[in-house]
Amino acid sequence: MSDSLSGKAAKRVLVASVLPFALLAASTLAQDDSQWGSGKNLYDKICGHCHDPKVGVGPVIAGRDLPEDYVRFIVRNGFNAMPAFPASYIDDESIAQVTEYLSTLPAPAARP
Amino acid sequence: MPEQNNAVLPRGVVQEEFDKAVEKFRVLLGKESVLVKADQLLPYNKIMLSVENAAHAPSAALTATTVEQVQGVVRICNEHKIPIWTISTGRNFGYGSAAPSQRGQVILDLKKMNKIIKIDTDMCYALVEPGVTYGQLYDHIEENNLPVMLSFSAPSAIAGPVGNTMDRGVGYTPYGEHFMMQCGMEVVLANGDVYRTGMGGVKGSNTWQIFKWGYGPTLDGMFTQANYGITTKMGFWLMPKPPVFKPFEVIFQSEEDIVEIVDLLRPLRMSGTIPNSVVIASTLWEAGSAHLRRSDYITEPGHTPDSVIKQMQKDTGMGAWNLYAALYGTQEQVDVNWKIVTDAFKRLGKGRIVTQEEAGDKQPFKYRAELMSGVPNLQEFGLYNWRGGGGSMWFAPVSEARGSECEKQARMAKRILHKHGLDYVAEFIVAPRDMHHVIDVLFDRTNAEETRRADACFNELLDEFEKEGYAVYRVNTRFQERVARSYGPVKRDVEHAIKRALDPNNILAPGRSGINLDTYKKA
Repeated sequence: MSDSLSGKAAKRVLVASVLPFALLAASTLAQDDSQWGSGKNLYDKICGHCHDPKVGVGPVIAGRDLPEDYVRFIVRNGFNAMPAFPASYIDDESIAQVTEYLSTLPAPAARP
Repeated sequence: MPEQNNAVLPRGVVQEEFDKAVEKFRVLLGKESVLVKADQLLPYNKIMLSVENAAHAPSAALTATTVEQVQGVVRICNEHKIPIWTISTGRNFGYGSAAPSQRGQVILDLKKMNKIIKIDTDMCYALVEPGVTYGQLYDHIEENNLPVMLSFSAPSAIAGPVGNTMDRGVGYTPYGEHFMMQCGMEVVLANGDVYRTGMGGVKGSNTWQIFKWGYGPTLDGMFTQANYGITTKMGFWLMPKPPVFKPFEVIFQSEEDIVEIVDLLRPLRMSGTIPNSVVIASTLWEAGSAHLRRSDYITEPGHTPDSVIKQMQKDTGMGAWNLYAALYGTQEQVDVNWKIVTDAFKRLGKGRIVTQEEAGDKQPFKYRAELMSGVPNLQEFGLYNWRGGGGSMWFAPVSEARGSECEKQARMAKRILHKHGLDYVAEFIVAPRDMHHVIDVLFDRTNAEETRRADACFNELLDEFEKEGYAVYRVNTRFQERVARSYGPVKRDVEHAIKRALDPNNILAPGRSGINLDTYKKA
């Protein structure tokens, strides 16, 4: 995981030094590698808009060691107020990545 | 033999015919792009409507990424009379989400067709494919430091311009009337032709996103909220990023204030002094988007009593009406208009003005300021937690931007919602002359009895408003046929004549806006 990420970063630097449209090219590259690039990116761009502790539309999911099967089940079925996402929007690989990313985050602080 | 464990077929299509079509889809698109298994289709079937999922279950879903593939899909659909329901980003919550209007339709999912083809920062326009989201556009604009800003609906980050504009959705900036700011469209017609509107048909043209009408009949409007074609590209104008953005709020204490608020606001909108799509949110909309829940205050069934709402206002500082607007331009322009605006509210002698400096990072001011400046967030999804349980339908009648009309509509809606034990959760989205009076019919969809009440309530809202000459601008898939009737038989006759001419096999989303050759009988 971390190897492929640093590999991607290296590609990005290389591209940046050569092409004038560096940023555009880099983001295209990142998207080509996988649907969302990384679990962090998926969380930042989609899940976190509701689940970030500072937002609070959905419950905190960071640092709770939620199993991948559970995350996939909820994402695919939706759950009451939460909408579902087809694989065309968030594929299985990205769900695996985001699950792993969530497990690296600190557990939520206990409610006061 | 195609494996299928979904057990749903399109209306009037036998298994054998369906299987033949599926085989052809697989050859055309590749196996991974043809979904027929139940677990693959579940995500498309998540709805917030007052009806069981089965009523809107798809038989299959196809993902396409090129115009040629879309052309191939309609060819196969014509050969086997397969009805398809097209979605772009499919985030049409409260209007049917990603599910087809009729059980058994095949979903044509264009989410993966997601190229930002062009953003021109001199002429300030974008040309995009259907799967492009506002979040994707926002990142692109930020990463490249482009001097333009977006307008979008509250589902912002995860929604997209093509799908939203095809349903004629709205945003909250001066470019908030999205269809009005749309320019140039490419559609695949049922016969496979690729038609470009406006200047798009002219060989070598560079004005497709510049001049809307083209020559002869201008047909963009005909394709929105319709089933005459599949949009594969769309252009739209972008607002130049202004040097100064000044969001503000005005809080009003009493329900009756709506009359004076609207009559004061109208000239300010009409003159362009306040240029954006202003909102006037009711207490419970404000509460929901501030992430209060009904259960924080009351657990008894039925509507939330006025005394409780008054208490909420007292506890939180929210008003009966909460107005959000913004000024845009140079500092001098903003200062001049700020004086005009504040003078007007001072003369009224009502309304507490809240500036960004006073509000700081507080919600819901923050998310409103973001929506009014094209910064995506999903804060407003807190509405779905008011009652929870996944039930939500937008009842959105059009109104004159006249105080007495808005008050009349609010009273009517509240009476009917209360009759069915539900709450008036609403906002007015304010144009110079019109209001999108957006009412969120929220209910606990896990409760069968409450779901039945919500269904009866929505029907009654449509009926009672129609008696007063009101109709909605947009509606969920369960009620699209019903609402088509509000607009009269001649309109429907014309719509079906066009449908017969452009889609004789009735393959494109039959039922969309009540247009369906299989069921429509001329009055």
